[in-house]
Amino acid sequence: MARTLKTLVLAVLVLAVATSCGGSGSGAKGNVDFLVFGDPEELQAYRNIIAEYERENEGAEVRLIEASDRDDLIARLSTSFAGGSPPDLFLINYRFYGQFASKGVLEPVEQRVEDSDAFELDHFYPQAVNAFRWNGELTCMPQNISSLVVYYNRDLFKQYGVAEPRAGWTWNELVDAAAKLTKNTDGKGRYELYGLGIEPSIIRLAPLVWSNGGDIVDAQNSPTRLTLDSSEALEAMQLMFDLRGTHGVIPTEQDVESEDDEARFMNGRLAMLFSSRRSTPVFRTIESFDWDVAPMPVVSEPAGILHSDAYCMTKGSSNKDAAWSFMEFALGEDGQRIAARTGRTVPSLRSVANSEAFLDPSAKPRSSRVFLDAIPNIRNVPTVSTWPEIEDAIEGHLEQGLYEGVPPEEVAQKAIAETTPLFARAEN
Amino acid sequence: MTDRGRHLLLLAPYALGLTALVFLPGAVTFGLSLTEYDLIRSPRFVGLDNFRELWGDEIFERALRNSLHFAAFGVPLRVLLALGLALLLHARFRGVTFFRSSVLVPTVVPEIAYGLLWLWFFNPLYGPVNLFLDLGGEPERTFWGARLPQWLTNGGDARAAIVVMSLFTIGELFVVLLVARQAIPGELYELGETEGSSPMRTFATLTLPLLAPVLLLLFCRDTIFSLQATFVPALVVTGGGPPPYETTYLPLFVYRNAFEYLRYGYASAATVVMFALTALIVLVQWRIFRRWRAGFAG
Repeated sequence: MARTLKTLVLAVLVLAVATSCGGSGSGAKGNVDFLVFGDPEELQAYRNIIAEYERENEGAEVRLIEASDRDDLIARLSTSFAGGSPPDLFLINYRFYGQFASKGVLEPVEQRVEDSDAFELDHFYPQAVNAFRWNGELTCMPQNISSLVVYYNRDLFKQYGVAEPRAGWTWNELVDAAAKLTKNTDGKGRYELYGLGIEPSIIRLAPLVWSNGGDIVDAQNSPTRLTLDSSEALEAMQLMFDLRGTHGVIPTEQDVESEDDEARFMNGRLAMLFSSRRSTPVFRTIESFDWDVAPMPVVSEPAGILHSDAYCMTKGSSNKDAAWSFMEFALGEDGQRIAARTGRTVPSLRSVANSEAFLDPSAKPRSSRVFLDAIPNIRNVPTVSTWPEIEDAIEGHLEQGLYEGVPPEEVAQKAIAETTPLFARAEN
Repeated sequence: MTDRGRHLLLLAPYALGLTALVFLPGAVTFGLSLTEYDLIRSPRFVGLDNFRELWGDEIFERALRNSLHFAAFGVPLRVLLALGLALLLHARFRGVTFFRSSVLVPTVVPEIAYGLLWLWFFNPLYGPVNLFLDLGGEPERTFWGARLPQWLTNGGDARAAIVVMSLFTIGELFVVLLVARQAIPGELYELGETEGSSPMRTFATLTLPLLAPVLLLLFCRDTIFSLQATFVPALVVTGGGPPPYETTYLPLFVYRNAFEYLRYGYASAATVVMFALTALIVLVQWRIFRRWRAGFAG
């Protein structure tokens, strides 16, 4: 009898231990701190994912820490690393993750992906996954894979009899359409309508350079300098600057300071806008006109630029299994569907990207497939640790080229002079 | 307990706070300025490398120049404006409380809200400042025919905008000068009147010398303040631009390097330079004012 009782107790204990260790349900237990920043619509998406995850996993608790913007997120991250209590997870764009990856504070996740029952690595778009490899090691897992597209006001195109953009349209066709959609009825004072909005940044210029057969750096993996002084890059820069200088189809600097391009588009005073999927949730609030997205125009070959954010787990996380369990959910089909329905993400998981959750014809933009069609030609900027500084430095010079007519050669020369020491200081 | 013991006991909490929150972080900042530190890995001693790099850094040079520009224009204008308002509003008359409160109010508005408000005021096309200046004028011209300021896109105008913003947060200066003016006995002015002294002469020989110690203190205090006060306006209103770094001041330079680029050692070195610069300016001011006061005494 005593022996039977002993066996029974042992069996119960073994069962209890097995239950607490096995399956994804067990890893879910415990608190996970998850640091993000984003628009209210985007934050709501994360809240929805968390709510669904907590509903499905009893005992799991994910605390969403909301930073006000990217700078705030980076400041919070670095100070929390210094204080020895980093969040378990955070979400960051590949252009900014290098400064953390280079310092060895991110937990490699390849093994966990391989062991996962929820997905396999090749279920994701490789263009996004590879952007988060640091020296070959997978450090973070991307949640989205957007590219640059042209948002356009369909009503304005119809009103002024301009043909809507189609796949494979050229840069010249874009300029032509933008010129027809730039209006200043009384011939003086302010323009009531501009054809196009583009910001003077390297992430807007890069796809033009690539499309013109050039490159922005001398070596993608270990760049030492910008190559904006190549003839292809100079030509691409000239195309960009001509939008203001020669054609006058984009808002002036004063106009942009008065009303940013996104607001101008929403107010019906801008016919087209270069932007990523980021603009979709806020544009879905537009009721006064119909809008859609079109592919980027081609200069000489199709090219797009990667916009991708990933879930990163910190090495200092005190609950890695729980953090991974949440990552697995958020990156899996259910989590990505929730995010996709908000309109914010182009899912990194192919199955969800090609599902109704993303391509829903009843939700704008109706041509969401444009984002997927662009993926094969998508490229990424280098992910060296000093890239945020490099982007900031280039922006000022591009602004002077676009708005003040500084020639591309001078812009290139100044940008190269200012950024070469930053490349030299970079870790990659 | 002796008097001295009691004094020390009363001072202890403040001294402790000052040590823990000011002196120690100050010493740490100085220490960090000699290192390369990203807040994640351990600091690495690099000697004076950060200071050498600052010496050749064009952005730092610009930030330094911009900060000196702000101190040179902002501080005298702020103190003079506060002095003028204190002299106008020191006497009692109907509605004076309202006017005094009006001078104080902008100072108590939270800095970020104040910055956002000015971002709207300075909006080049829809902002009230340019709409007012443009009243009745040609397009892009003020009503007196000058070029309309481009507050956010022209370097000089943007720096002027930051100074203009600072001219409305002079509440503290105003209150101190108001109290100082009210403390001057009325008999002295009556005496001046009976001797037939003109208002300007009374101001130059009576009011100004008696307010001199307070003015000295306020000048020094405002100089220290001015080197830090540009942070929120530059971050919120101009974003450090227009290019190239036209309104990047030292605090914004330090912030960006530390918190955006994770270069805490380099940012600490810039902070040390900012501290040394503040000390130097205050020292020079102190000497000038001492001579000035000695002139009155003579």
